[in-house]
This record gives sequence, structure tokens and C-alpha cells, in this order.
Amino acid sequence: MIGPVLSRRSAVFNALAGGLLLAGAVLAGSPAAAANATGEPLWFGVSGPLTGPGAQYGAQWKKGFDLALDEINAAGGVKGRPLRYVFEDSQNDPRQSIAIAQKFVADPKILIELGDFSSPASMAASPIYQRAGLVQFGFTNSHPDFTRTGDFVWSNSISQAEEQPNVADYAVNSLKLKRLAVLHLNTDWGRTSKDLFVKAATERGAEVVATEGYLPEEKDFRSTLVRVREANPDGIVLISYYADGAAIARQLKPVGLTQPVVAVGSVYSPKFLELGGEAVEGVHTRANFFPAEPRPEVQRFVAAYRAKHNEEPDAFSAYAYDAALVAHRVIEAGGTDRTAIRDAFPRVKDIPSVIFGSASFDPATRRVSGVRNVKLVVKDGAFALWDGGVPAPAH
Amino acid sequence: MLPTSLGPWLDYTINGLVIGNIYALLAVGLALIFGVSHLINFAHGSVYMVGAYIGWLCVTQLALPLPVTFVVVAAGCGLLGVVIERVGLRPLREAPRIAPLLATIGLSVVMDQTAQLLFSPDPRAPPTQLPAWRIAVGGGSIGALDLLIAGVGVGSAALLYGFLRFTRLGWAVRATALDRDAARQCGVDVDKVNRTVFAIASALGGVSGLLVGMYYNTIDPNMGFQAGLKGIVAQLIGGVGNVPGAIAGSLLLGLIESYGIALFGTSYRNLFAFVALIVILVLRPNGLFARARRLPPEPLTGTFIAPSRPVVLPRWAVWGLAAAALALPLAVRQPYLLQTLGNAWLFALLALSLTLVAGTVGQVSLGHAGLLAIGAYASALLTLDAGVPVLLAVPLAGLVAATLGTALVYPAFRLRGHYVSIATLAVGEIVTLVILNWESLTRGPIGVTGIPPLAVAGTPLVSGQWVYWVPLVVLLALAAVQSRLLDSHLGRTLRAIREDDIAARSYGVELDRYKALAFAVAGFVAGIGGALMAHFYSYINHETFPAPVSMLALTMVILGGLGNVAGAVLGAAVLVGLPELFRAAAEYRMLIYGIVLLLLIRFRPQGLLGTV
Repeated sequence: MIGPVLSRRSAVFNALAGGLLLAGAVLAGSPAAAANATGEPLWFGVSGPLTGPGAQYGAQWKKGFDLALDEINAAGGVKGRPLRYVFEDSQNDPRQSIAIAQKFVADPKILIELGDFSSPASMAASPIYQRAGLVQFGFTNSHPDFTRTGDFVWSNSISQAEEQPNVADYAVNSLKLKRLAVLHLNTDWGRTSKDLFVKAATERGAEVVATEGYLPEEKDFRSTLVRVREANPDGIVLISYYADGAAIARQLKPVGLTQPVVAVGSVYSPKFLELGGEAVEGVHTRANFFPAEPRPEVQRFVAAYRAKHNEEPDAFSAYAYDAALVAHRVIEAGGTDRTAIRDAFPRVKDIPSVIFGSASFDPATRRVSGVRNVKLVVKDGAFALWDGGVPAPAH
Repeated sequence: MLPTSLGPWLDYTINGLVIGNIYALLAVGLALIFGVSHLINFAHGSVYMVGAYIGWLCVTQLALPLPVTFVVVAAGCGLLGVVIERVGLRPLREAPRIAPLLATIGLSVVMDQTAQLLFSPDPRAPPTQLPAWRIAVGGGSIGALDLLIAGVGVGSAALLYGFLRFTRLGWAVRATALDRDAARQCGVDVDKVNRTVFAIASALGGVSGLLVGMYYNTIDPNMGFQAGLKGIVAQLIGGVGNVPGAIAGSLLLGLIESYGIALFGTSYRNLFAFVALIVILVLRPNGLFARARRLPPEPLTGTFIAPSRPVVLPRWAVWGLAAAALALPLAVRQPYLLQTLGNAWLFALLALSLTLVAGTVGQVSLGHAGLLAIGAYASALLTLDAGVPVLLAVPLAGLVAATLGTALVYPAFRLRGHYVSIATLAVGEIVTLVILNWESLTRGPIGVTGIPPLAVAGTPLVSGQWVYWVPLVVLLALAAVQSRLLDSHLGRTLRAIREDDIAARSYGVELDRYKALAFAVAGFVAGIGGALMAHFYSYINHETFPAPVSMLALTMVILGGLGNVAGAVLGAAVLVGLPELFRAAAEYRMLIYGIVLLLLIRFRPQGLLGTV
């Protein structure tokens, strides 16, 4: 972690000394070791939260980018030139993400932009990128309309239209649950996912007996869960991130719920286990990313991530890692011309990807399909591949 | 989906009490501080977060046993409270009453950001060492921690009650609360009293943070804001400055939320809480448990605002600055700079609106982002669903925001001082929650996509210059109108209401009408600002205008000088510009912003250009 610390210090120094020029941005990028790649670096811009309530996701992104760039640049970068990034903190706020967008589009060295995190911040900036002809590549943007702004907006975010039927399969077909209660984050992501899940579950012959949307900052779920209990479900579905998913799991037992729980892949994080403790034991999830999965691209990523950051990767660092690999490939194919980089998207095929196995873009939707996933269950305080055991019915 | 049997109602009641318990921990400390210094301490939530982290350090890094950990947390946070009082608040004793409130916001930013830098933004799980037994109640159960939290809440309230009633220092605290100057004349060391109160309240706040962190098994650097907000609501329901009332108010808030979930579903939870708050404020402005006997407001003390000599820009300078601002894009072509300044002008519209109600009329609104949201949604939906051209939709949105905004705040017109702030804060939250839940109109959490940009004769005004010019021209026009209004008899009347509403009323000023007029103008201005933002952003949802935007707006207004039109513009330019200037400092920039805010409040509490 020597690199980022140094860059922070120099950034602060610059801010204090003379960084008062609005546009004279100091590069807070990653000084990834360019073992083989030398020469003039090539840059991508990142707009995302480094401070504010979404800051932990931006921190995970950085770790994923840094790892990807280490590998890319050690392998010669882009035709011998190192790939680097500038990370601008948007606080996940549209007011700041549009200013960042203007900054990136006006900066000729930025070849492609990655981010932002949430839909309000990302989609407010999309028209600016579209008009200026700089690719905005969203990698956590599952809003169904995200790529509709125009042909410069691309995404490898997991499409919920593809993801939710998989979750429904797990709950209804594999675990034989027939009366489901769905708890979902009441955000654009959670709401879209919930609607798709309910449709998929109903098609598979299950009944959705309760749906409850909660706000992201909610911590107390007892009364919500009593409502769920009164609907008498035989399984509980969580459309949650890891922190809120763990909080819900912890409050199941105190209100007398013992039904099996199925959560969407975004709970996949070591933090889910840490925050949930014993309460997440037996939670099922269908994760897009699982470190113990034998796929080579996963194993390489996990080993390298552990070596570099000395901790377990989570889904958000994997998304960022994948996004950097995509940026590398399209810059390699498109060169230093922004429009050529856009045109490279449909041409680059089978980019190695932790989440997708290999990713290729559909020019019609400007998204990637074919998300990989594995059926997991929390066992003895760790995620483990599901062994096919159906939980005993409650009551 | 009404629950069918009585069984779950027992559970809902217990759950309400469980969560009310947690609110009580914060509400008691807030009530104590308010009781003595008449300050809504927005830093209290951050102290609570710091307590959680001290506890986490003690348990995981130093392996201290739980009782020792509690002592360390209480001592550490008590000390922090003393520092906050000494550094952040005592220097502001003679400053206008709004300055300490802002200082607590600045302190809270500094503490939250420092914690984030030290501990990373990742949530952590503080280990509990409590027994795992649970008592079955109704269909569910409660555990040792529930009882411990209740014990700490009630126990600390009882201790405080005894302290205030039976000790000399307690008497001094109560005397200071009743009348600071009289207490000082009687030989009470008011500074010592304040220090003591901050130490006690902060120690309690820190212990609460640890307890709640253990309860939910998660702590993170941003945990304080929401928790503090709920604590503030709870103590208002109970009656500000009333310690037993704060506990009762917290339990009641918990119950209201729990029953709200039971009847309407989880997404209505906070809506219920804030509507209940408004109802209680309107029916019993002193809270449910306030004693009827309260000192009537003294003449000329009902105001937040200290008189100061405003910096008056000469007319030629105003024209010159306006012309220079208009000409800027001809000289500078950096889209990033223009966008940043364009953002500043948009937020200046919000600040202009707020400075009218908060500065000129003295109704400090903490929910002003709600007006932006109304304007933004009105314009977006008029354009997309009703086919109104954008150019017409924007002023219509202003009218909608004026009407709805005034109607929503109307019940709060009879309130004074802090109560207005809290009521408007609640209104702001209600607007967000209605947007979230009224899906047939607003599309709920999915938000409104594809909002067309502003266009004249079919040409969209989207280039770098237009994102600068359009807000600037609108701002200059509305600022000119507002200045004219304030120079007229209307301005004098509004200021008279601010200075002394009783005197104003006895001169025959119909308070409600003038307040309504001010809120209507303010709603129009902010509504236009929100509408323009919607058309620039092209996508909005209920999270686009969150509560911190209201805080930012208030900071702009106070920074510029309350009631000062030029000050509002300057404040917006500075506060939109500062975070961009410090962008190079990445993780540190919010910290720097907080420190700069504190320094400004400390050395220029009347704002850069002075109050008008």
C-alpha cells in the first residue's frame, strides 16, 4: 500500500501548496508498478464515492483497479505504454458527478470514463459524456435505462433481468420454497430487482406472500419481520447489499422467523459474514463471484488480491477489476481516439472476467450477458458451494 | 394488509419499545444539551459514532473487558464533549444563536471524516461479550442487550434527574437553562456548567454508540447522522430540553414507527415518524410532556440573528460583477469551470430562496431541499407526462413549488425558533418519502429518466456555455426581484417579524400572511432551481435531493450573511467551489471543508457580507 499513501500525501501537498487551480488537477491516480510498460501512460477516469455514505464501495473499487493495473502493466500495458487512472471523488452526488464529467471530457488524456456508483450520480452525467463523445462505462449500474442515453454509454453491470430468474430458480426449484416473502432495498436497483424476481418466482409456480421495501440507512427490521411472519412464508428472499442483508438476518430469530433465507449475489462479501455472525449461518445466495470457485480467472484474481491487499476480495472489488480489464482491452483495440474506443466495444470479444467468465458486449443493449453464478450457502461461518441439501420446512 | 389477529400487535408494541429504547439513548443527551444551551447539537450523532469506535478499539485491539470498555468510552467521549464545548462553542457565546448550530454541523463533518480516514469507511462488527440468553415475549424474544439498553437509558435519565434536582451543580445547570444572564449574576460559573453538561451528554452519547453498535453488530463512520436525526425528532416529541420527556418521546416515536410499519408497510416508516412530529409540533409545540409553565419570549430575543453592519456593494459594483459574470464564458472556455460555476448558480437559487425565509423572516428552514425536489419533479413530469414544453414547465414548476411548499410549511407558521427548523426538516423528509411512495405519479425509486434538456426553438441548450448562462441569467433576474422586494415596505415588514413577532403583530402585521408570502416567493425561486437541475441532470429520483443538501443550503446562507441576497450568491459560489478546489486532496477534502466551515463560523459568524 505504499503507492496510494504516497499519492495521497503528494495530493495534499499540492492542494495546500498550489492546488487552487480549478482545472489544474493533480493526478491522484494509481502509480502502479510498470515493470514492463514504460513510456507515456494512457489514462482512464473514474468517477465514484471516496467520501460520504458510499465511500466503502469506492475504496473497494480502488483495490480492484490497482490490482488489475498491476497485472496489466506488468504484462506490458497497452502496447508498451502503462495504463493508469484518475479517481475523482463524487460522493455519489449528481452535482459533483456532472462537474467531474465536464472535467473528464475536457481533459484530452482521459480515454474512457468508469462509474459512477448509483443511478442518480451516474445518469445525471451520462448526457455530458454522450454529447462529448467520451465513453461512460458503468460497472455497477443495473438501472434498466442506464445505457439508453446513447451509444457512448456502456455497462458490464449484471443485468437484473438475467440475475433474478437465477435467484428465483435457486429458491423455487432448488430449495423447493413455495411461499416467499421478499425484502428489498427501496432504491432503483432494489425495486427493479424485486419486480423481476416476483415475476420469475411466480412463473416458477411460487407465491410471493409479502414484499417489503426498506430505506438504505434502515437498521431496525423487527416490525418489518413481524409483518413478514404474519404472511406465513416458507422462505425469505433478501434483495439487499451485505450490510443491510446482515442486519436483517440478525433480526430474524428475535421475531421468531426460522425459515430458510435466499439472498441475491450482492450480499457476497466477507463483511456479510462478519456483520451477520451466527445469524447468517444457512443463508443461501447465488453469487456471481465466489473465491473458491475453481474457474482459473477467479482463482488468479483471488490469489493476486490476497497477495496485494492482504484481505478477501468482495463483489465490488471484482466488478472494478473486471471493469479495468475491459478498459484495457477497448483502449488496446481503439487506440487513443475516443470514438474508436467506443467502436471497439462490439469488437472486443471474450475479455477474461471474474464475474462473467468471459465478457462480450451486445451492441444492441450495450451490455454483457452470460453472467456466471454459483449456488452458495453459508456454512460454519464461511461461504461454501451448496451441496444440494433442501432445508427442512419451517414449523 | 391489516394484521388479522391481536397477537402481532403485542410484537409490534414490543418492537416499538425496543427501537424507542435506542432512540432514547441519544435523545436524553440531546435534551440535556438543549436544556442548558438552547442548542440542537448536530455533532451529537458524531460523538455517538466516536464512542462506538473507541469501544471497538478497546475490545478488539486492547482486549479490555466490557465494563472497563464502557468506562473508557464514557471518559473518552466525555473529554471529547469538553473539547467540543471549548473549541467549537464557547468562542461563539456572543455570536448569533445560529452560529453554534452551524458549528456543530461543522464539527460533525470533521469527526465523521476523521473517523473515515482512520478506520476506513467499511462497516465493522464490534464483538459482544454479553450472554446469549433470550426471553420469549409474544411471538418473538428480547435479549440481554435490549434490557441493558433500556437499563442504561432509564438509569441515566434517573441519574440525571437526581443530579439536576439534588446537587448544587445540578441547580446551577437548571438556573443556567432558565436564564443564563441571571445565573451568571448569581455567581454561577456558566462555562463550568456548559462544560459539565457537554461532558455528561457526550459520555452518554458515546456509550449509546457502543451499545447500538453492539446491538446491530455494525459500526461505520457515517452511522451518526441518521441516529442523531431520530434522536432530535424523539426529544422534540417529548419536549425539548426535557430529560424524562425525551425518554417518553423516544418510546412513543418507536411505537409510532412500529405501528406505521404494521399498518402501511416498511417504506412508510419514516413518513409516519415525520408526520407524527409535525402533528405534535402543531398541536403541542412544546412537546407532549412539556410543563405548561414556560417563560414567554422576551421582546427582541425571539430572533436567531445578531444585528451586524452588512457590506453594501455599490450599485456600479453589482452591475460590474454581473456583467463580468455574464461575459466569463467568452473569455474562459473550460467546460469544467463553467459547469462548476453553473452548479454554483443553481445552488445560489436555493440559497436565495432560503436566505429570504431564514434570514429575512427568521424562519430557519432545514428542509429546503424538499422545495428543489418538488420543483424538479413538477417540471420533469409536466414535460414528460403532460407534454408541456420545457420553457413553460420550468416557471410552472416554480409555481407548483410555491403552492405546495407554502401549504406544507403552513402548519409550522405558528411555531418559533428551533421548532420551525425541525418542522421544516420534517417537511423536507416528508417530500422525499412521498416521492418514494407515490409511485403512480413519481415512478417511485426507479426515478424519472430521459428528462429533456432546456431547449429554445428546438435547439437544446446543453453546451458548456449554456449550463453556465441559463442558471446565471435566471439567478440575476430573481436576485434583482428579491432585492427590490426587500427594499420595499414588504422587506421591512418581514424583518419586523424576524426581530419581534409580538411587536409586529401589535402593529397590525398579519404574521401568517406575510410568512406565506415569503414562503411562496422562496418556493418559486427554489422550485425554478430544482426544475433547472432536473433538466440538466436528465435523471432524478428520490435520492437526488437528500437531507444534506438542505444543510448545505443553510451553510451557504449563513456563510454569506443571513438575509443578504449577494451573500447567498457568494455563499453558494464558495461552498460549491471549495470541495472542487480541494478535489486534488481526494479523501481529505471533506475534512478540509469542515475545518474551513468551522474557521469561518469562528471568525465571521455574521457571514461574509453580514446580515441584512
